[in-house]
Amino acid sequence: MSEPLEFFIDPMRCIGCQACVSACRECGTHRGTSVIHLEVIDRMRTIQTTPMVCMHCVDPTCAEVCPADAIKQTPEGVVLSSLKPRCIGCENCVIACPFGVPKYDALPDQMMKCDQCYDRTSIGLRPWCATVCPSRALYFGPRSQVEAQRRGKPLNRFRFGNEVVETKVNIIVPEGVDEFVFDVAAHISEGMPHSVADLALAASAEDH
Amino acid sequence: MADLPAPENQIIERFGPHAAYVPVGGWGAASDPDRRVPSHCCFCGQQCGMILLVKDNVIVGLEPWEEFPFNHGMLCPKGVNRYLQSGHPDRLRAPLVRAPNGFQETTWDDALDRVARAVRQIQAEHGRDAFAMLSGASLITEKAYLAGKFARLALKTRNIDYNGRLCMVSAAAASKKAFGIDRSANPWSDILLAECILIAGSNTAECSPITTDYVWRARDSGAHVIVVDPRLTPIARTADVYLPVRPGRDAALLNGMLHVLIQEDLLDHTFIRERTTGFEQVKEAVSHYPPAVAAEIAGVHAEDLVRAARLWGEAKTSFALHARGIEHHIQGVENCAAVINLVLATGRIGRPGCGYGTITGQGNGQGGREHGQKCDQLPGMRDIEDPAAREYIARVWGVHPDEIPHQGLTAVEIFEAIDRSEIRGLLSISFNPLVSLPDAGFIRNCLRKLDFYCAIDFFLSETARHADVVLAGSTQEEEEGIVTSVEGRVIHIRQAVEPPGQARQDTRILCDLAERLGAGDKFRFRSTREILDELRVASRGGLADYYGITYEKIDRQMGVFWPCPELDHPGTPRLFEDGRFYTGDGRAHFIPVTWHPPAEDTDEEYPIVLTSGRVVAHYLSGNQTRRIGPLLDQTPNPYVEIHPQLAAQLGVADGEPVRITSRRGSIVLPASVVTTIRPDTVFIPYHWGGRQSVNILTIRALDPVSKIPEYKICAVKLEKAAAGAVPAAEIASLSPRHHV
Amino acid sequence: MLLRFNRAALFWSVLVTGALVAAIVVGSRRLQYFDAALVPYTFASIFTLFGLTYHYATWLQRPPTRRYWQRTWEQIRQGNVPLRLGLVLRRLVTHILAQSFIWHRSRLRWWMHFTLFWGCVLAALVTFPLVFGWIHFATVPGHPYVYQIHLFGFPAGTFAPHSLLGWVVIHMLDFAAVLVLVGVGLSFWRRTRDPDALAVQNFYNDLLPLLILFAVSVTGLMLTFSSLWLRGYYYSFLAQIHAITVIGGLLYLPFGKFFHIVQRPAQLGVALYKKVGAEGESARCACCQAAFTSQMHLDDLKQVLAELDFHYEMPPGSAIDHYQNVCPRCRRVTMALTQARISGREFL
Ligand code: SF4
Ligand code: SF4
Ligand code: SF4
Repeated sequence: MSEPLEFFIDPMRCIGCQACVSACRECGTHRGTSVIHLEVIDRMRTIQTTPMVCMHCVDPTCAEVCPADAIKQTPEGVVLSSLKPRCIGCENCVIACPFGVPKYDALPDQMMKCDQCYDRTSIGLRPWCATVCPSRALYFGPRSQVEAQRRGKPLNRFRFGNEVVETKVNIIVPEGVDEFVFDVAAHISEGMPHSVADLALAASAEDH
Repeated sequence: MADLPAPENQIIERFGPHAAYVPVGGWGAASDPDRRVPSHCCFCGQQCGMILLVKDNVIVGLEPWEEFPFNHGMLCPKGVNRYLQSGHPDRLRAPLVRAPNGFQETTWDDALDRVARAVRQIQAEHGRDAFAMLSGASLITEKAYLAGKFARLALKTRNIDYNGRLCMVSAAAASKKAFGIDRSANPWSDILLAECILIAGSNTAECSPITTDYVWRARDSGAHVIVVDPRLTPIARTADVYLPVRPGRDAALLNGMLHVLIQEDLLDHTFIRERTTGFEQVKEAVSHYPPAVAAEIAGVHAEDLVRAARLWGEAKTSFALHARGIEHHIQGVENCAAVINLVLATGRIGRPGCGYGTITGQGNGQGGREHGQKCDQLPGMRDIEDPAAREYIARVWGVHPDEIPHQGLTAVEIFEAIDRSEIRGLLSISFNPLVSLPDAGFIRNCLRKLDFYCAIDFFLSETARHADVVLAGSTQEEEEGIVTSVEGRVIHIRQAVEPPGQARQDTRILCDLAERLGAGDKFRFRSTREILDELRVASRGGLADYYGITYEKIDRQMGVFWPCPELDHPGTPRLFEDGRFYTGDGRAHFIPVTWHPPAEDTDEEYPIVLTSGRVVAHYLSGNQTRRIGPLLDQTPNPYVEIHPQLAAQLGVADGEPVRITSRRGSIVLPASVVTTIRPDTVFIPYHWGGRQSVNILTIRALDPVSKIPEYKICAVKLEKAAAGAVPAAEIASLSPRHHV
Repeated sequence: MLLRFNRAALFWSVLVTGALVAAIVVGSRRLQYFDAALVPYTFASIFTLFGLTYHYATWLQRPPTRRYWQRTWEQIRQGNVPLRLGLVLRRLVTHILAQSFIWHRSRLRWWMHFTLFWGCVLAALVTFPLVFGWIHFATVPGHPYVYQIHLFGFPAGTFAPHSLLGWVVIHMLDFAAVLVLVGVGLSFWRRTRDPDALAVQNFYNDLLPLLILFAVSVTGLMLTFSSLWLRGYYYSFLAQIHAITVIGGLLYLPFGKFFHIVQRPAQLGVALYKKVGAEGESARCACCQAAFTSQMHLDDLKQVLAELDFHYEMPPGSAIDHYQNVCPRCRRVTMALTQARISGREFL
């Protein structure tokens, strides 16, 4: 049996092209609506951007806080988008998801979120965003290949305050990191760390 | 008299741009397609593979083509959305002629007769060369070949040039001089094996997004990346060394790097001795650029320059990439030569992981410049003034060598000749000079001076609005053909759909016109396959030898790298593997380069450098991508990138209007205040026309060899503009944004 | 087994079912007008109501649902009551009766759902009162061609069976069946080609209910067909089959997809909740200071999360006290910032 394919995200590689945003619109389970997020972090200070897909939590907060029982998990552990007959548009999931994933759309009065292109992944195809992404910030493939090709390692354990969340999707981190702690304090005080390139440009700007 | 036939807003309401969001047949159409056609993206030189889903003669969606080895299913947003141009409401479906109140549809016979009559009349009165032709580098190679042949044998004019003149010609000229051949020397897979990658003047992530993957994967295996760019682009963000060069100083910077290599003896002496000529002259030339001097000119830090040189020098394998950033200069050819000198000095070419490439921007930027639609070339990358070449091609075409006109004017020069009234008539195909050429005000005046202008296009471009006759042509997906990608890989474009309505295939239009111009016997092609067969013979024995390339072979091999001289030849992915170059003496030629200032340097009155370029969501003049809703939404309007220091001086905040003025014109755009650009430089993307066009400001100065315009530098001044001064987007008011 | 039942839910089920039984007895004038032939339907209905109430009551016990339930009743009684009631009523018309939100999801789905919904409502409005003996028809003595309608035993108008009105009244269930069949057809059409449906649907939840509706409608129409054109041929056999399908459908109601019928009105409460929230204080993001929901919503949610045993509180000494004080956008951005920070470089 061939190795199962997994989802890996690596925001550092993102080049902000938004191919993922357009590709998401092509997904058969919600064709015409894009549910992925692409954040421009702070365009004034940096060109860095970051995508966000559903991390597919093992114990999904979104599903637990849904009053209408509208968010279901498949046997593979994919957390589906809201069931249309059930979702009552309350936005509990939107606010509660620790990764900020679900999107609420007012006219259809419904939450839509990434379902890892379930129409594709359930039959062995790769999800749209992770197929088109030209930087492999979003990638879907065998774990062994990712481990062999990239530096760092995949991790799927996150901490938000006292809560630890395990997910189906992995993020790439340096060796030795065993828990990805969402560093809100640093976000507030410092923002995006400066890169070598930022410093080089700032230095020549100073000369100016 | 080619002024507008109706007020511009009326033309826009009728012919767009409208923004299309939903495929014909609705979102569900793609789940039940009639056909799945593996083909390629039409929106840049990388030519990503993709599978087009066709229903009822319209492309209604796509599917990644993961087996195609270049991009493995990866795409940028242009590629993902390109299907929305199929069945687009703005699509020209019948020929148009100028009428008192705008354009009027007519029959093909009438339209073609008018064109033929105008050609005859102008040529009778003013000579053959008074009728010029401009063609495009996004056309399939069969069309490009046919355009060259059509101009020479049907129009019988020497004045044909193409919009690759705005794109590839500097790199082409440098490669031709140094290596004797004009093609990226390596397949992109060599990037993966490089220990050091130099990217000079390429916003790779936005303009050739899939190349990013090659760079990133090389980094995964430890490669160092050096980026030279006045803007901190996404590819520069993670660079090991980033050199934020002041625009127009690349040659000094690159010479400075070579100076370090020579000083620290990081050279491949054997290679230099055995495989090259001219090193001593180059050594002399760069001796004037010690790091401190070079860095001072280039506006970077000397230590960074030295570090970059050492990374390059100490690596065992390396890949140098450059693009318009160093090519769009009056010193464009020399800038490319300066990069090549680094490659040659370290002997890193012709081996796995050792390479050099220029990143073509246009869909067929490579193939479109090889087979005779350049003013100085005949098919097979042959020199039009080479008697042997003329004789060979004359034989293929069945004419006397003297019947082939000699070298003509380049694109910008053609307009200058129009301005002097030497050229009176113009035929263009897939070229939108009003948006894409520098000094747009001048170009607009030239269009007014023309006696007759015919545009072949599938959307009514800004320039075509000035036409007397518009011939409704075909898009990439409507004709079978070949295209040569950035790697030199010849690929197969399959026909996915028929042209809609009465629109005709471009090749048929040219053949029909040739018939009316009395050259029909040279243009009896029933299919593009027949054109390819003639092209294969015409290119045979030339530098760009396509003789061994067929549609079937391409399909079998997932592309064929030229030269491919025989049917059983596998193609040539990596050039120079035998150590021989395509020059007369078989050696690579160093080219000494001396930096000199740009055509228009900054001064007291115009103290800021303006540079221009692309964004990822748009393609060239935007004639296609500004009609595709999601791409338009991604970047709806141009803006001017300003460093916070400059913004503070001007007193403008992010989003506020700024007036940018050069000696040629003035435009108002919203400010995008970012730390990712040099404080002495501002940037404006170029995909818009009218009052949103950066080319109102740019300078009509050309490289003396390649005749590429200096888009990347002119001097401007900035001031805060009144709120509300930003021009509204030129877009039709009613966008068909329907849901299904 | 019985002990594992949810006591509160059991209590409510017994209460509501009891009320229905009482209503049947009273409404049919002590079973005077009760049609004995419809007894199986009655029992199925009672059982269904029991199940529905039970499921509903357990559903309401889930922390997030309970919170909204309480808030709705609280909010509808506070503030400007007519205004709030007005909002709820407007939403009832636009969202429940006209189903405008489905229109925005997809036109096809709207037609599908609209026909199904009104077909079922029509059928229910006719069937249940008849079954429970709340409505019955009688001929008017001396006027053989006029029927008298009795509602809860009281005369409530007359109609002539051969008039247009009479024809409409008598065939009401046939119209309902046709509407339902249109909806079922559209749904099947969609479910056999829409990639979304194909990927996520399952038999029990998505196809079985359609099959039930189809069976009920077709057998119902066959009854009419038999009586009109086949002179009652096979009528009683068909009636039995029809009864079986209807009873099957009723029994499926509390468990499967149809449960959303009783869940849906919660949308009205949510609309009110959002309106009240928007009028009150906004929650501002601890990172970017942007308003991202109402403070009431955030506070309620934090409590719900605690009840659900989630622990998004930050440890003492942190810059903020609760992770949920960060807006969704800043959460997404923090992921990239954190990755950059722990890597200490721009690219791994
Ligand atoms: S496609 Fe990839 S690189 Fe482009 S924006 Fe999305 S995540 Fe970033
Ligand atoms: S990431 Fe968010 S939306 Fe996805 S499963 Fe987890 S809680 Fe739900
Ligand atoms: S525009 Fe270029 S990078 Fe984008 S999909 Fe097309 S070929 Fe690929």
